[in-house]
Amino acid sequence: MDLKKTYIPRLDDILGGGVPKGTSMLFQAMPGIVSDVFGYQIISQRVQLDSEIGFIYTNTRTPIEIERVFDKYGWDLKTPLNSSQIFFIDSISGMMGVPPMGKYIIDDLAKTEEIVIPAIEDIAGGTAVIENIATLIDSIGADNTIKCIKMLNEAAAKHEVNIVYLFTRWDYEDQLVEQLRNLVDCEIQLFSIEEKVMYRQVFMVVKSNWTRASKCKTFFELAEPGGVMVFIPKLLVTGPYNAGKTTFVHAIAEKAVSVERQAFELFPTTVGLDIGHMDYKGFSADVFGTPGQERFDLLLEPLARESIGTFIIIDSTKPDTFARAKEMINMCQAEALPKVIVANKHDLPGALTPDEIKKRMALWEDVPIVPVSAQKNEGVDKALDTLFDLIYRV
Amino acid sequence: MIPKIKTGIAAFDELIGGGLPDNTITLIYGPPKTGKSVFCYHFLQQAISDDEFCLYIMTDYNLFQLEEKMMQFNWLIHEYLQKEMLYVLDIASGSIGAIQKETATFKISSPQNPTEIISKIIEDLQYIYQKTHRFRSVLDSTTTLFSFNSPILIVRVLKSYVMRIKVAGGAGIIAYTEGAADSQIETMLKATVDNIIHLDGEKIDVEAMTGCDNVSANYKITDEGLCII
Repeated sequence: MDLKKTYIPRLDDILGGGVPKGTSMLFQAMPGIVSDVFGYQIISQRVQLDSEIGFIYTNTRTPIEIERVFDKYGWDLKTPLNSSQIFFIDSISGMMGVPPMGKYIIDDLAKTEEIVIPAIEDIAGGTAVIENIATLIDSIGADNTIKCIKMLNEAAAKHEVNIVYLFTRWDYEDQLVEQLRNLVDCEIQLFSIEEKVMYRQVFMVVKSNWTRASKCKTFFELAEPGGVMVFIPKLLVTGPYNAGKTTFVHAIAEKAVSVERQAFELFPTTVGLDIGHMDYKGFSADVFGTPGQERFDLLLEPLARESIGTFIIIDSTKPDTFARAKEMINMCQAEALPKVIVANKHDLPGALTPDEIKKRMALWEDVPIVPVSAQKNEGVDKALDTLFDLIYRV
Repeated sequence: MIPKIKTGIAAFDELIGGGLPDNTITLIYGPPKTGKSVFCYHFLQQAISDDEFCLYIMTDYNLFQLEEKMMQFNWLIHEYLQKEMLYVLDIASGSIGAIQKETATFKISSPQNPTEIISKIIEDLQYIYQKTHRFRSVLDSTTTLFSFNSPILIVRVLKSYVMRIKVAGGAGIIAYTEGAADSQIETMLKATVDNIIHLDGEKIDVEAMTGCDNVSANYKITDEGLCII
């Protein structure tokens, strides 16, 4: 199959190499996530690298503002504009009272398809970026928007144009969102994974007609310049001295490396970091284990800031270290991070049950406690599932 | 007792039992030129006095003009700005092509791009949340947003905004010029907020407020701001 690249990192792999000609894609973004960068990146890279042609239909940013966004991400728009490789369909400037700019100008959103369809013919084989469906829905109504998208899709299929819709999902009915999904060949959701206010952005393919795309979540960041960049999340493993952090890191990340010093300590203990990488149920992350001694507390905060979730490892047989565990939670500001307490060494005599641990630690909130034996690899998957459930609770 | 946050209008705070309920959102609405923006300046001034962070979203004036307007009442924001406690989102300058540099505490957006507005607000909230869980937020005003967008879209945007501010622990005020949208939209707008205060040029009316009776008082705008008489 002849596929066009999206030039969004990881997305092409997930989609089996790219997007077939004449198909439609919908980027559905949770409020607060700018989906337009995805559209701009696709068109700018195709124009630059594949000498494609295309247009940007806009009802939210004026062409001048779009030029500025391209500049910010380091993509050249002036050259393809001058050579007419890219043109605008300006459906906003009129409304804003600034001079419109573009090959086509729309002063009445109800006439959208009348003007966009000929534009699709102009760019046969190319790429059309349409932003933003939300404005269309709230201006001309859901039914008209759906009718319009159907007509644009037909024209795009006929002229082998790849059409990219950008859609901010405000509080629309599920039914409408479902209808939109049924109209397109591929839907990618952009959302954030958050705990209180701290958050990380994620994209996920929820539908693709030409390939069985995995529903894995890819963390991303917007780099200036650069655009959409994949972000490899970090998981933090922390806890008091000799609780079994290194063993746990090795249990979840097979090839982890550790910096250890044995000579001056009774037990081999970590004085640097345990670093590993794990792939688990379509989720990939770097794992960092911190040393438990107080003199390394300095490391905690910066690592926690970069992390999306934390395991706090405690030794179930040593209640006298629980206060230290609590102190470490506070120190790494883990309050704003999804976290799971791993009650390690639960198989040893004298190990406390999760309920007893909860009481002894006097936890101020409901932090899940999972009994684990990192040594025997018992309960490790349960701990991972529990943390991921927290992280992905959207 | 519900924790209160002072509006900065002392006599009015007394009237409503100490101030607005903390971590709620208040709609300030009324006809044009009745002192809605002055109310916002009071609210900001109180943040300065109480050493609290403030997120200020402006749609009809820029930061320089805000500084001038505050100065009319002898309120100086310069030092507060330098302490990086004021986070400004300027929605007035973006679309007219004024190119200003964004900083950690100064961002620009355009009234017709609510997706970008909310994304920049979230960015600010992430910064603020790292420093404090108690802050104020001012949106002056929604009127411009309504005039550049389909009104129902703006109601959706405001719902998202209100949710964000409250989750982050803030207390916010939203200004709106009566009649800018139709009555159905106004009803939806009122349903989005916790407290409603009406200004008509002579009388300030608490139409709804958690844990407070519906009170009203006469006022006038003087060179000391909004004064209850």
